[in-house]
This record gives sequence, C-alpha cells and structure tokens, in this order.
Amino acid sequence: MSLASSHPGPGSKRGSGARYLVVLSLLVATIVAVSLINPAFATVQNFRDLLGQCAPVVIVGCGMTLVVLTGEIDISVGSLLGLLGALIGVLSSPQRLGLPPPVVVGLVLMAGAAVGLLNGVLVTAGRVPSIIATLGMLTVLRGVTELIMGGEWITDLPPGIRVLGIGSAAGMPWCLWCAAAVSLMFVVVAHRTRYGLRLYAIGGNPAAAAMAGIHTSGVKTAAFALLGLMTGVAALVTVPQQSVVESGIGVGFELVVVSAVVVGGTSIRGGHGGITGTVLAALLLCGVRPMLVFLKLGETATYWERAIQGGFILAAVLLDHWARRDARGRAVGVIA
Amino acid sequence: MSGPIPAGSTSRLITLHEAILAALLVAVLAFAAWLEPSFIGLNTQRELSTHAIELALLSIPTCLVIVSGGIDLSVGSIMALAAVVLGMLHESGINMGVGALAAVAVGAAAGSLNGAFVAAVRVHPLIVTLATFAAFRGLAEGVSLGRPISGFPDFFLRIGSGMALGVPLSVLMVLLIAAAGLVAVRRSVAGAWVYAIGDNERAARYCGIPVDKVKIALYTLNGAAAGLAGVLYVARRNTAKADVGSGMELEVITAVVLGGTSIFGGRGTILGTLLGVALIHELRELVSWHWQHDELVRIVIGTILIASILLNNVVGWRRP
Repeated sequence: MSLASSHPGPGSKRGSGARYLVVLSLLVATIVAVSLINPAFATVQNFRDLLGQCAPVVIVGCGMTLVVLTGEIDISVGSLLGLLGALIGVLSSPQRLGLPPPVVVGLVLMAGAAVGLLNGVLVTAGRVPSIIATLGMLTVLRGVTELIMGGEWITDLPPGIRVLGIGSAAGMPWCLWCAAAVSLMFVVVAHRTRYGLRLYAIGGNPAAAAMAGIHTSGVKTAAFALLGLMTGVAALVTVPQQSVVESGIGVGFELVVVSAVVVGGTSIRGGHGGITGTVLAALLLCGVRPMLVFLKLGETATYWERAIQGGFILAAVLLDHWARRDARGRAVGVIA
Repeated sequence: MSGPIPAGSTSRLITLHEAILAALLVAVLAFAAWLEPSFIGLNTQRELSTHAIELALLSIPTCLVIVSGGIDLSVGSIMALAAVVLGMLHESGINMGVGALAAVAVGAAAGSLNGAFVAAVRVHPLIVTLATFAAFRGLAEGVSLGRPISGFPDFFLRIGSGMALGVPLSVLMVLLIAAAGLVAVRRSVAGAWVYAIGDNERAARYCGIPVDKVKIALYTLNGAAAGLAGVLYVARRNTAKADVGSGMELEVITAVVLGGTSIFGGRGTILGTLLGVALIHELRELVSWHWQHDELVRIVIGTILIASILLNNVVGWRRP
C-alpha cells in the first residue's frame, strides 16, 4: 500500500473542485434543516460555540492537508496535542514549573515543530513509511505524555494561560481568530506560493517532481514541521479553555482531522485537493454532535455521532468514485 | 519444500528477520529471568498468555491483508460490534452458541463491507477502514447506548478461563488457527495469490488471479476473526461494551510490521507476525509486572517499531 503513487487523471490543483461545493451545500442544508426543527440552533452565540469547537480541527487540518497533499499522512497529531496540552500544564502550573506565559507559548510551539520535524526526518531521511513512523510516534508520545503528567491531572492553570482559551477580542474567542488566520494563511501558501506548487507536484508525481529539481525531502519535512507547529497553536487555544488538563486529551483527534481532510476532497494519494474543502468538512464533521443535541432526539442520539461521521467519509468516497467514473467515461482503476 | 513458494519469502523455513525477532524474544525473556525470576515460570506465562489471544487472533489475518497491499484499521471496531451483538442477543434470551455464531457472522459481514469498498468501489483501504473504524464503533455505541452488558453463563465463561492439555482453552484455539493459517498460506495457491497481489497487483490481474475476490475474501476473513476475538474477549472478561478493542488496530499493525511484513505489501510471514505478537506481549507483561508503569511500555513498543524499520533501511536489504 503506497500513499504517494503517481496516478493518472487530470492533475488540476482543484481536482476535486466540485467536492467542496458539495460539502458546502451539505453543511448549509444541515444547518438550515436543524434550524427549522429547533430555532434555538440558529443563534449567533450557538454558531460561535460551534465554530469554537471546530477550531482545533480546522487549525490542525490545514497543516494535515499539506502533508496529505504530498502523499504522506500523520496519525500522531492527537497524541502530540495531548503531549503539548500536558506540557502547557506542567510548564505553567505554579505547582510544577510555573514559567511565565510567553515562555510557555514559545516552548510549546517549538516542541510541536520539533516533533513534526522528527516525523519529517523519519519519513524522508529514515525512509520509514509515514503511516508507520507516525504510528510509532503516536504510541511514544502518548507514553511520554503519561510520564510527564505523573498520573495526576493538572488543575491550576494560571490566568495568563487561561486567557488564551477563554479570552476574546471583538466578541470572538481567540480560537476563532486563530482558526480564521490559519485557514487564510494556508490557502495562500497552498495556492499562491512556489512551496505550494511543489507540494502538489510531489503528491501528483514524486518521480517527476524529483527530476524537475524539487527538493522532495525538504518540502515534505517542512510540511510535517508545519503540521507540528499548527498542533502547538491548536493546543494553546483549546487546552486552556478548561481549567483542568487531563491525560486523555487528543485521543481520536487525528482521525477527525484526517477525515476532515479526506471528506474535504483531498486525495489520500496526494496531488489533489485543498484547504477550503478541509475547513468546510471540519465544520461539517464537528457539527454532527451539536446538531444531534439540538435535534432533541433524546440523550441517546449523541451515541450515533461517530457512526454518522463514518457515514460521511463513506459517502465522500462513493461520490468520488461516481464522479471519476463520469469524468473518464469508465470506471477508474480497471485495466484498459 | 514442496508446494507453491510465495513471492517475497525465501525457501528457507525461517527468514533472517524472523531469526532476529526470535533472538530478541529470547533476550527479553532472559532479561526477565534475571530481573524477576517468577515471571518466566510456566504457570505465570500460562496465565499471562490469555492476555495476548485477541492480539494474536487479529494479527494473523491482518498480516495477510497487509501482505496483499491493503490495510485494515477497523478491526478493533468490528470486535466491539461483535461483542455488543453478542451481549444484546444474550440479553434477549438467545442461546450463547447461536449468539456467538451471530457475532462472528456480523464480523464477517462487516469485513465484507470493507472488502466491497476496497475491491468494487476501488477506494484506498486506509480511507475505507478509517470510515468503517468510526462507523462500526459508532454503530456499537448507538446500538448498546454505551452501557456494558454482563452476566454471561458459566459454561461460556469457561471458554475464556478453562484449560485443556494444560494450556488455556482460548490460547489453544488461537494456536490451532495460527498453525492452520501458516500451513494454508505456505502451501496453497490462494496463499501465493495474496503475495502476488501485494507485490504487483496489475501483474497479478494479468496473470488471471481473481484479485477482487481474493481481496474481499481477505477482508471478510479479517472481520470474522475480529468477531471471534470479540466473542473470546467477552468470554474472558464477562462484559460486553462498545469500547471493547479500543486501540487494538494500532497494536495489531505494530505487531504485523514488527514481524517483518512490509506495509507496501508483497512481503511478510505469519510466523514473523506471531513472533511480533509474542515480543510485544512479553514486553508489555514484563513492564507491567516489574515496574507497573504502562507508559513505559508504550514508549518502548513505539520506539521498537520505528527502530525496526530504520534498521532495515540502514542495513539495506529491503526497499523502503
């Protein structure tokens, strides 16, 4: 199973251009439907909360999109989020190290980028398949997190750190500002810079990209490091939202992120897709739980959240299959 | 030796990678003997062996799936679904034997869904099984409403804890399945097909190998094994809940890759996988036994996984 195989078909950057329109219409349709059934859903306050919950997925999803575009994957982001959350707690809590907030922020961002860099080096220089490298890292990071937490939760985050999570500017919490800024930045990087062009090139046809003189290892490693940095950003704006740092943060997070990337139209083989789709799909997937709550189907409805998210992914791949069939006039993948 | 020799393996009975793993296993046990002599006592090992049956049972067919060039992230979720089905059938008064069969059948059906998406819809197995990982566990959570079911009859629980020939019953079952798998893969045409598909799928198709059917069969088998693992888990723990098998998929892939199977397909053996399972099992139990610190285990296993690939690449006799 190779993630970065070259594949036939039109190599347009917005190869799944229709996809994010589909996701957008689905998102709008579900929002409208739920609002009609329960008007309490359609308030500014509620949308703000919803967006706030999606923020970490959006932030990390942007970084993940770049990695997937090169044909790789990183399933360790959940464990990294947990580790960085624990780091925030340990570094800033007066009972532990009690460092000043700016130092904590700097250290957390550096740690995130460093882990991302390590992943990148393992994949490029170590030639370890990215799914294995990040699978190993996922386990190691979770172990390190438990080690530094020492079996206790951290309950006394100082206000200087908590303001990152609960503070706001002009009515919008920091996490929303971050998510918006990161999304815009990444759209620019992916579609308007030479680096973005190289990303798509590597994912589309690694051999051709290398022959064209693109420094594949450098581009990939940078993508991984950037993803780690974004995980740091996400940790800084979401972990301080709670006053307690627990050891189970981030479990399962990587799957929501990868799902958002895939549902948003980015091909797992690389070379196709984009940031917009990821952001929209993140909103859709994260919105499932709040929507279920507002539909007032009873307590038990929220148990179906994961099933519905899985259903979305399957629907996305079916759509892809049918779309490709039409575009080429025959089923893709058949020997011809 | 007679019979078709799968591409990617050698005609020797045991490969270099397997020999290294066996040596590592012996080293770990020797270290354990020095550190904590009671650990390697036969009685202790016998009791501890039941902890590894689900991992072993899941790893064998997953090895074949990965050798064929695919992957299956949904095995833990299928386990949960089967366990929940068993629990709910038991609650509605249905006979345990029927319930167990139904659970395995549900597992097989789930696996065939994976296979259908991979082979017929031609979706990347990572995506399919990522979706079904969420969907199946979600289904289990939704159907059981998150609550645990216990109170299973004694004769059923004895499957989990009973002995036969001085070895736990469930371990014996898994060993038999492993032996059957080993023989089947080495000596059957279908076994050779699996390796051919993993090595070069297009060429396999040109050779007339029914690639799609083989793939669907592999995923269905994987699902059935996961269903059986779910049943055995319930028999062992007397509880069926939707969080059964959480995280199993990662352990399984770790064991399989550690065992020498290439994630790209075409290479890997069941013997290697079993050694990988044994190594992870012994390390985990040893650390639990001596240090009672689970987090150390995770770090060790993750590091070993990455190190084994790195070493292979450095030594250079495997393509990355």
